[in-house]
This record gives sequence, C-alpha cells and structure tokens, in this order.
Amino acid sequence: MKKKSFFTRFYVVICLAFFYLPILVTMIFSFNSSKSLTNFTGFSLRWYEELLNNVEVYKAVYVSLSIAILATVISTVLGTITAIGLSRSRKVVRELLLNVNNFPILNPEIVTAIGLMLLFSSIGMRKGYTTMLLAHIAFCTPYVITSVYPKVRSLDPNLANAAMDLGATPYQALTKVILPMIKEGVFAGALLAFTMSFDDFVISYFVSGNGVKNISIVVYNMTKRINPTINALSTIVIVVIILVLLAANIVPHLRKKSLNRNHRRNTVIAVVLVAALCTLMIRMGITANGKHVLKVYNAGEYMDLSLLEQFEEEYNCTVVYETFESNEMMYTKLAAGETYDVLIPSDYMIERLIKEDYLQYLDWDLIPNKKNLMEDVVNKRYDPGNRYSCPYFWGTVGILYDTTVVDPEDLDDGWELLRNPKYNGDLYMYDSERDSFMIALKALGYSMNTTDFDEIDAAYEWLIEQRDTMAPIYAGDDVIDNMISGNKALAVVYSGDASYIISENEDLDYLTPSQGTNVWYDAMVITRDCSETDLAHAFINFMISEESALSNTAEVGYTPTVSSAFEEMKESDYAGISSYVPQIENPKNEIFGYQEPKVKQRYAELWTKVKAQ
Amino acid sequence: MKQFKRLTTPYMLWAAAMIVVPLIMIVLYTFTEEGNSVLTFSFTLDNFTRFAEGTYVNVILKSFRLGLLTTGLCLLLGYPMAFFISRFSEKTQALLILLVTIPEWINMLLRTYAWMNLLSDNGIINQLLGLLGIDPVTMMYTDFSVVVGLVCNFMPFMIIPIHTSLSKMDKSLIEAAYDLGANKIQTFRKVIWKLSIPGVLNGIMMVFLLSVSTFVIPKLLGGGQYMLIGNLIETQFISVGDWNFGSAISMILAVIILVFMRLMKKMDPQED
Repeated sequence: MKKKSFFTRFYVVICLAFFYLPILVTMIFSFNSSKSLTNFTGFSLRWYEELLNNVEVYKAVYVSLSIAILATVISTVLGTITAIGLSRSRKVVRELLLNVNNFPILNPEIVTAIGLMLLFSSIGMRKGYTTMLLAHIAFCTPYVITSVYPKVRSLDPNLANAAMDLGATPYQALTKVILPMIKEGVFAGALLAFTMSFDDFVISYFVSGNGVKNISIVVYNMTKRINPTINALSTIVIVVIILVLLAANIVPHLRKKSLNRNHRRNTVIAVVLVAALCTLMIRMGITANGKHVLKVYNAGEYMDLSLLEQFEEEYNCTVVYETFESNEMMYTKLAAGETYDVLIPSDYMIERLIKEDYLQYLDWDLIPNKKNLMEDVVNKRYDPGNRYSCPYFWGTVGILYDTTVVDPEDLDDGWELLRNPKYNGDLYMYDSERDSFMIALKALGYSMNTTDFDEIDAAYEWLIEQRDTMAPIYAGDDVIDNMISGNKALAVVYSGDASYIISENEDLDYLTPSQGTNVWYDAMVITRDCSETDLAHAFINFMISEESALSNTAEVGYTPTVSSAFEEMKESDYAGISSYVPQIENPKNEIFGYQEPKVKQRYAELWTKVKAQ
Repeated sequence: MKQFKRLTTPYMLWAAAMIVVPLIMIVLYTFTEEGNSVLTFSFTLDNFTRFAEGTYVNVILKSFRLGLLTTGLCLLLGYPMAFFISRFSEKTQALLILLVTIPEWINMLLRTYAWMNLLSDNGIINQLLGLLGIDPVTMMYTDFSVVVGLVCNFMPFMIIPIHTSLSKMDKSLIEAAYDLGANKIQTFRKVIWKLSIPGVLNGIMMVFLLSVSTFVIPKLLGGGQYMLIGNLIETQFISVGDWNFGSAISMILAVIILVFMRLMKKMDPQED
C-alpha cells in the first residue's frame, strides 16, 4: 500500500478530535476550583482529594469494571458460539432467534429494564450484583451476535467440512479454522459488549439494589448538582487506559523474540490473572460483617454523606444508602418489591404511600429530637399529626430573576412575569408537569390540586399561549449551571436550588409570586417491611439533631426543618439570600396532593402536548 | 456441518428466559394493572386510539426524523473514517479502532454535559468566537446541538462494523479491479462498497436503533421540548405509572422498527 495521503491522516485526526473534544473538556474541568462545569475559576486538585475519600465511587468503579469484564467474557463466548450455530440452523429457527435477539436492541432500554426487574422480583431473586450481571449478559449478547453473525455468514460453508475431511475434530475445526477467520467480528463484538455494559444506566438501575451501584448510577444521581469528582474519575480512567495502551505497544517490542515461544503460556497466565482478579472483586463486593444493616433511600445529592459515617460509628451498624432521581422512580422500585427501611420522599408521594399501605407509624417516643423541629413544618395535610413522617427539608417554588435585566415593577405580576413579552426567549421553565401546571393554575387563580377538567384545560391553554409567545426552554437541572452562568433572565426553580444559585451569582434574586405557590416538604418515613425499626427511629432522630441538621443544610443548601440550624445559617452562609427563608404566609399557597390515576393521565397527556406539538 | 447446530441451544434457552419471559410479563402486567379484571381487552382499543392522536404521531415522526438524520450523518462521516482506518497497518488499525471506542467508556452523561459546556450561550465555543470578534451564536437547545451530541455519541457504532467488513476484504480484489481498467470511483462503487454492505447495514441498524429510542441526550441538549418516543415511554412507565400505554407505545415502536429492518434486509445482497 502507498503512503497515506495527507487527507487520510487529516480526516482521521479530525474525527478523533471530535470524539475527544468533550472528554478534553471533562478533563479540564476536573481541575476546576469551583463546582461549576461551565466556568473555570482556577486550578485545584480539590476534586481528586474528594475522590480519594469517596468510598461510594470506589465501590462503583469496582462494580462497573467487574460487571463489564464478566459480562463481556460471558456474552462474547455465548454470542460467538450462537452465531456459528445459527449459520447452520434451519431458516425458521434462524429467523426466529435473530428476531428475538433483536428485541433487547430495538426495545427502548426502559422496557427491557422493567421486564427484567419484574422477572427477578417474581422468582424472588435478591437484587444486587448477580441480577445486574445477568441483566448485562442479557443485553450484551445480542450485540455480540449482531457483530459476529455477518462474519460467520460470509465464510465459505465448506471450510469447516474441508477441515474435518482432513481429519480435524469438530472442536478443532471450530477453534483452528472458523474462529481465526471471524476473530475481527468477535473482537468487535466484545468491544461493543464492554462499551454497552460499562456505560449502562437504565437497566442497571432497575435490576440492582441493596447498595450495588455502578458508575453511571452514581453519576445520574449527581445530576442535581453534578460534581466534578466524577470528572476527576474520568480523567483517571483515561490516563489509565492511555498507560495500558502504551504498555501494550511497548512491551511486545521489548520482548519480541521470546514472545512467539511463550505465546500460549502468556495467554494462559493472562486468563488466570483475569479470573483471579474477577473472583477477588466479587468477594470484595459482598459485605457481610454481622452488623445491623439499615437501608436508606433518598433523592440524589440530598444529604451530607459524612453524616452516614458518623451514624454508622455511633450505632455500630452499616447504612446501605441508595438514591433516586425522582419520587416516581422511587415508587416504581418500591412497587416492584424492593425493600428499604427509611425513605425520604416528598409530600404528595408520602400521601400516596400512606394510602397504599407502604408505611408504618412512627414511634415519636423514640425520636426525642422532635423538640428541635420548627413549628412551620409539622402537621401538614399530607400527613396530619405526623403519624408517619418526620420533615427533612422544605421550601417553595418560585421565579429566579436577573436583577440587572428584569424591571422591578414587573415583579408585581407574579407568575404572569413568565408571559411578559419583554422577556421573550429569555426564560427557562422547569421541565416538570406538576410544577408547570401549578404555575398556570395559580396564575389563573385556581387550586393547583384541581381535578376539574375545565380548569385543567384552561391551564393548558395558558401554557400553550406561553409557549407560543415566549419560546421558553423546558430545562431540567441544567438550569442550575445555566443560571449561574447568566444565560437567561428568568427561571422557575425550587427555593433550595435558588439559594445555591444566588450564592454563586449575586445578580440573581428569588421571587415568591403573589398568586400563591407550591410549598413542599420532604420527609423521612419508615416502611412497613422495615426490619430494623429501632435503628430506623434512631436514624431519624439523628438526622434532626441540631448538629446533623446544620451540617446537612450547609452541604445541601436546602432549608432545614430544625430551628437552630435554620437560624444559624440564616445569619451566616445564607445571610441575605431570600430564597433560604420560605415565604409561606400567603393563604393561596398549597401543598401538592395525591392524584387519582385518571387525573394524572390527563395532566401527563396535556403536558406532552405542550412540549411536543 | 450439522454438528454446529446444537451450539444455538444454550442461547435459545437463555433468550427464552431473559428476553421472551420478561416481555410477556410486561404485556401481562398491562392487562392486569389498576384493579382491572385480569384480561381486559380495552387495552388494544383504548391505547391505540389514544396513540392515533396528532401529538403522539408527531412525537414518533420527530423521533424517526432525528433517527434517520443521525444515522445518515454517521454513515456519511463514519464510512470514510472506517475506510481510511482500514488502510493503515494492522497494528495501527487495532489502535485506531480502540481510540474510536474509548470515548464510549467515559460516562455518556458526562460527555453530554461537556457538550452543553462547549455549546452554551456563554460556552467555550462562543468565548473563542468572542475573541475573534464574532457575535455569540445560539447553539444550545436547537436541532444542531442535539444532532452534534447524537452523532458524537453514536458514530463509533457505525465505524466499527464497517471497519470490520472492510478490514476483512481481500486487498487483491481491489488490485484486480485496477488491473482490469477500473478507475478509482468505479473500484469503490463496484468492489469496495459492495463488499462492505453487510457492515454498513449492521452499522445503520445499530445507530438507528440507538438514536430512535434515545432520550437523555436530546433532553439535555435540546431541552424538555425535545419530546421523543423514548422519552414518552419513559414518562409513561415511571412518572405516569401507566404501563398499559407505555407498553402499547413500545410495541408500536417495535413493530415499525421490525418493518424497517425487513426493508433493510431486502437490500442485503447476501441474504437468501
């Protein structure tokens, strides 16, 4: 072959640059001194330090890596022999199996995930490492088959016959003739399987449990406030890969001569090493130390994790801490039979859990720190008398606005500010069906818990009109970084997020609209199945102690339910930040209530229309 | 060669347990949810008429448009890449293919965040443009940002199968074509392209399937208004809790995709 033209090299380099550009950015921001992923404020190794102390990340790396390796090996073997077998099968069998095989690839991941979750629950398998591994093999094998099968098909079918005519056994024909011919396909399949497994989130999330998490699960739960520790981790991963690649390219050169003779022995040694490593990893993953175990399920980035360590030490127990992205995700897992001891959901979800008999009464005698709670946060409509729940954080929903852009006079319009043509194209709505409808309903003077379809339709019209005149962006938690960077003038946010954003960007302020808003409470509850009720109560009591509440609010930025912590932060870290002090005097404020399925469906349908039409 | 037939048995059992049974379970659940008596066939009618409504059809059309666009771009950009890679020495090829794959090992969400970072109004690209005296360009929350994110994420799945096909190609065939008087374009069209079709089809299938049901990347780079079919299904399963409708939509999607793949198979010259 001739020397490669300049264009060839240029194209390859440009393509690779395109792939590596985002990774380069990820690496750069792992050295950022602040939490922001958009503004580089200075060089620091802070995130690497945090990574060193983050046990959750270590465990996740081990889970991701060992699952990916095991799933790749098993699915490559399974997929390759299946592909070879398929090429010899009858057409009906082949078509059938290939079509079934396509299902995990063509079905949206969420369907596969829920299917597998139901399967494991129904046969009573304890969710954890094994279930995650089985699921990964299940969705990786189809990819191996799809990449190996075309290769097998393009082989001359007489090859194996010829080998056997010449005296080879079927096994020899397979390993000496067929495999070498299809090795590119097998290699490509294995690479794909590893890639798919290593980066999987949806399926892993639903089929795992009992504290087993991979890297993706950890990252997805950080989306609330993405944390550069993960960037640091990625940087290390990249550096390790580069080192391994270098080593793989240099070492063979150094020992070229001895390589051929020892080739077989080297392969055996490599296989044994990988196997030993895997067993070791699996052993490491099993934590059985005879201590009491408390399983806590909370929203992501919603707790100062050092508190968990303190609690473990104080009560000589192990806390298995898992996180969810939304209340609904938590409910889906709970409904599929996953068991937890303590949950920290929101008001309307607690109402639903009570209705559906998932919770047990709290024994307030075991929670002496009850005296620390503020008066404002107890005895609310979702759980009158707090028989089931102990408040954790609370706040409102409001409008975050740029004081340098928004005219103070316009603020009196409350929610209608979001339809003021002056700010056309300059706002983020929150991509949440209930909160968006809450805004429209409040702006129209209705209750945000209305079940009257006419009122709901009117709110729908309000939202459609807003969409058409204002061209809002329905953003998720990316709003946090966007507002810190000052990309737009207005945004709908939770008060707790607002406090954090304002503390990073002083031009912003928080408005609680006069038409009333959603006042929300997240609270700790104990499940009906809880087997460690004493420990669960101790945990709740611990979380509302004055010291815990203070370090929790300092870390998370949301408003605590403990008076002393609230008063102290109001004077120090969050002095002058209006969103830290929820404005709840307005009688038009409400708390979200449980929605009947029919009503819920109606809202969901209309919300889809608002966004998609 | 009948001995090898038995090799499919383990996977048949596995596929029955891990693919077919879970699917059946979902379908069964759709019939029994929310206190309905066990076999309520209202499922078929209700959910399909609901789907026929304009909004959902729009959503599915948008998903397919985006899927086709992404697949087309990946093919257009990925084919030359695979082709060029296949012309390097074997060792370099292995290295380059690995280099193409490695980015996929970095968490997808993180890479998407990095794109947000690059493309946003005050992002890195706009800051660089600012240094050159060019006014900032809005790139985030547009078709552009979504397509960039998807192409960057899925192109390796196009490059790898095409490269597998190309690398296996007998180089003497190309020389033979030249010897017989074919020019570069003819050689490519009549020999190289023809021989790489299995890989191309494989790549198209993979990228299309991935991009048509994706939702995380469009949601982050395109905003919530970028409603796609994957998104719709996710909402039905998780936040609405309407598994009936959720599985009805995913079945519609599966049927459309199966039809699509049938058509693709027709284009494969090697299929009997």
